[in-house]
Amino acid sequence: MPRYFLHLRYGQGLDKLAVDPEGDELADDEAARQLALQAARDLVAGTRSFAVRDWFVCSFEVEDEKARHVMTVPFSDIVPEEDDED
Amino acid sequence: MVHVQQSAVHNRLLKAMTVEDFTRLQPHLKPVDLQAGQTLTKPNARTEHFHFMETGVASITAEGANGRVEVGIIGREGLVGATPVLLGSDRAPYDHFIQVPGAGLRIDAAVVSTAVDESPALRKLMLRYILTEMIQTRQTAFVNASQEIEARLARWLLMCHDRVEGDELLLKHEFLSMMLGVRRAGVSLAMQQLEGTGCIRARRSRITVLNRKLLEEMADGGYGTPEAEYARLIEGA
Repeated sequence: MPRYFLHLRYGQGLDKLAVDPEGDELADDEAARQLALQAARDLVAGTRSFAVRDWFVCSFEVEDEKARHVMTVPFSDIVPEEDDED
Repeated sequence: MVHVQQSAVHNRLLKAMTVEDFTRLQPHLKPVDLQAGQTLTKPNARTEHFHFMETGVASITAEGANGRVEVGIIGREGLVGATPVLLGSDRAPYDHFIQVPGAGLRIDAAVVSTAVDESPALRKLMLRYILTEMIQTRQTAFVNASQEIEARLARWLLMCHDRVEGDELLLKHEFLSMMLGVRRAGVSLAMQQLEGTGCIRARRSRITVLNRKLLEEMADGGYGTPEAEYARLIEGA
């Protein structure tokens, strides 16, 4: 299975990126997106940080093993679309 | 068989014992290697042996739906397995496993129980030790409820630093994530903030403590109370 790295973007600039040094082996891009959303939900619900006052400005920058950008998953994606609530 | 000498042990409980109490236990102490990942006690299984930690670190962990989370840490200040037995049970509902490899002195639980029944001085020392475990657990509850991830990581690194030789800690983010009960990205974020202050250097899983005093400041009051209580209760500091 391919390995994905979920780097945490918490502001502008290189110093506002918490690099994921270890990565996760996942089936495909969709599995990586689901992991990013789950991690975002857990961080929003249970983790306070002095570096991040608002998790909703954060995103996961997902890369593959060759450090190619796969996708960006904003934390705001964990909030259901209004359509979903109907 | 050559017996372990009190002057040569690293374990702070063994060092703090009276000569008479150490002599009671001495013939029963068996030096053992402690391997990374080794389980010392399984949850809800009868505890047959205790381990006086000499070097290395044991974790007490609870199993949850999202994996294991650490609820306590024991190094050379402690005796793994003893607390439930000395309080009248024969097992604990938690895992005790080795997270930093090292060495210990294994002893039959029954030998310690008998010695505690025979010696008021040893009973007092053991009860005080159990109290220090409670204080550490309560401090963890306080820190988890009130502190930010940067301070929690700082406290945890200090507790680990107290229990290893030298300034280098080999700890993967995945492992720290379990220890702190936080997503790995939270660990990476906190590590970056601590590194930014210059108190540690983090190169993947190799963490070096550069400025311990500053690391204590980063723990923001989360570190120090249980450590001072241990020194007061056990070592008369």
